[in-house]
Amino acid sequence: MSTPASSTRAAWCLPDLLVAARRAGALWRAAASVGMAFLLTAMLILLAGKNPLTAYYHLLTGALGGWDRVVVGLNKTTPYLLCAVGIALCFRGRVINIGAEGQLALGGAAASAVALFATGLPAWLLLPLALAAGAAGGAAWAGLAATIRVTRGVHEVLVTLLLNFVALLLVAELLHGRMGEEGAGFPQSPLFDAAAWLPKLVPGTDLHLGIAIAVAAALGANHLLWRTTLGFRWRVVGASLPAARYAGVSHGRAVFGLMGTAGALAGLAGAIECLGVHYRLIEGFSAGFGFNAVAIALMGALNPLYVLPSALFFGFLETGALAMQRQVGVPSSLVLVIQGLTMIFVLCGIGRSSRDRT
Amino acid sequence: MEPAVLLDFLAASLRIATPLIFAALGGILCERSGTFAVGLEGQMLAGAFLGVVVTHSASNAGVGLAASALAGMAMALVVAIATTRFHTEHMVTGIAANILALGLTSFLVRMITGGRDGGAAIRVPLLEVWSVPGLSALPWVGPLLFRQPPLTYLAFALIVPLALFLFRSRAGLTLRAVGENPLAAFAAGADPTRVRIAAIVGGGALAGLGGAVLSLQQVGTFTDGMTSGRGYLALAAIIVGRWMPGGSVLACLLFGAAEALSLRVQAFSLPVSSYVIQMTPYLAALAILAGLGRGARMPAAVGQPFHQP
Repeated sequence: MSTPASSTRAAWCLPDLLVAARRAGALWRAAASVGMAFLLTAMLILLAGKNPLTAYYHLLTGALGGWDRVVVGLNKTTPYLLCAVGIALCFRGRVINIGAEGQLALGGAAASAVALFATGLPAWLLLPLALAAGAAGGAAWAGLAATIRVTRGVHEVLVTLLLNFVALLLVAELLHGRMGEEGAGFPQSPLFDAAAWLPKLVPGTDLHLGIAIAVAAALGANHLLWRTTLGFRWRVVGASLPAARYAGVSHGRAVFGLMGTAGALAGLAGAIECLGVHYRLIEGFSAGFGFNAVAIALMGALNPLYVLPSALFFGFLETGALAMQRQVGVPSSLVLVIQGLTMIFVLCGIGRSSRDRT
Repeated sequence: MEPAVLLDFLAASLRIATPLIFAALGGILCERSGTFAVGLEGQMLAGAFLGVVVTHSASNAGVGLAASALAGMAMALVVAIATTRFHTEHMVTGIAANILALGLTSFLVRMITGGRDGGAAIRVPLLEVWSVPGLSALPWVGPLLFRQPPLTYLAFALIVPLALFLFRSRAGLTLRAVGENPLAAFAAGADPTRVRIAAIVGGGALAGLGGAVLSLQQVGTFTDGMTSGRGYLALAAIIVGRWMPGGSVLACLLFGAAEALSLRVQAFSLPVSSYVIQMTPYLAALAILAGLGRGARMPAAVGQPFHQP
């Protein structure tokens, strides 16, 4: 039995709560972080003169209250899951890749190029080709970052961050050049032929094949990370560089492998967004995916399997927030507050644990 | 190039560079103490937001500017506590703080205006141009350098004091020592955790003023995400300028010129598109980084947690 005094302390000192949650493992750490983020956000909702319970009720029903809502949530989850799995792999190997946004944009552009210019191909050939082009586009962009990182020794965060901006401008340039639709008021490509549309997973709904691809990718990455020699090499590089060197594991090759894999997954996400949601390439379609995916990967404890619920949470949070805005009039930008706070709390939980270990 | 066109181009470069300069100078303070300044974007955004709100309700630009600095400090404090007390990963913490700032400001602006689309409802008069008597009458140079709004003067006035503080004062020496080797600084009697918190928060004040340049000096209102990546660009300017105030300001001016050029591509009838020119700051930063390679002297302890022995 704990004394009343100590239980009060646990309830009021949020950091202590995090430390306690950390001891209970990744799941509780994530739950505590989300709980704390929602608690703080509730105060904002109160401040706005609304009832947080009503707001959260509409958030919940907006996210899960009906098949059409679930479909929207699952579609939103897809790019997050793909990007976050790649980022989780990278972080495991201590490669801080925050370039998913650019890799996703370039992947979308590559897939769109195939969809636009390889017309006349049958759908069974065109679709895999477009998806593969997307993965290749993302991997190439990440490979560029890896090259600068490995050959010139520039920190990968700066390289991937700067390349994000270049990628977004490159896509804009493409849309104003050969890939743009003439006479459209908005920078976008012409609509793809129906042969390049990602088929529906459940006919008659908007749920496309993307979520199945993303879940398969997460399972594949999980196997790769924990059950293969390559995954073991990556983990060794992340755990201890001197140990990796002693064991003859090349750091440079690990960086290329990790970045390439993450880039391919992000590029695939971009391809799926273009082929499954918009049916065209749109300027700015990739905005924000990369940074949110970092949060999702962290909340999923950098484990491809745990990333799955974490990505679902973020996907459904966004659908629910739109409903909350419609029903209660609470701005949906609160999602960003919840995401940012969750991320900070998760980071604090992880940070403490690494200190306790040393 | 027509002289008038050139003058207009230079003035635009200067205008675009001003918010970057504040953020870059603040970021140098932060990074010299050993913390990656990825949170600049959020600190600028918070400064831009609170500056407008307070200027509007107090009808006083001075109070508004103070509020901008305070808002930047508050956002920086989040990063400072997370990185120093909880030893979080610096880059990701900065990004999280940026997301938080984006959400908070866009929520609060809607709450204040009562509208769902927010923003435009709060309008404030722009900071007035100060003409330096005499000098501003000079041909060409006068209007460019001596007929500017106050924050532009302040940005340039900060360079030398900041450099003197960092490289000629005892406190600056301690700050840099913490950024190079916190353990050694600790052994010499400094408290690296406190130094870092102070440096991050101080840098946040400058970044907040950088946000105020956008909202109070250039636009006159707050719009969601109005910093649009300028914090990250300032981060690149710090690296290109090799963590030196003067060098980073030059990098900011270079970035400003690139953007000003991209806005004038059509007028100058250049053979490249405006997007390619907009890429130049980022490509230049990458090229310089790759060129410097391993020789780039980043403060040695940037990103390293300090564990008190």
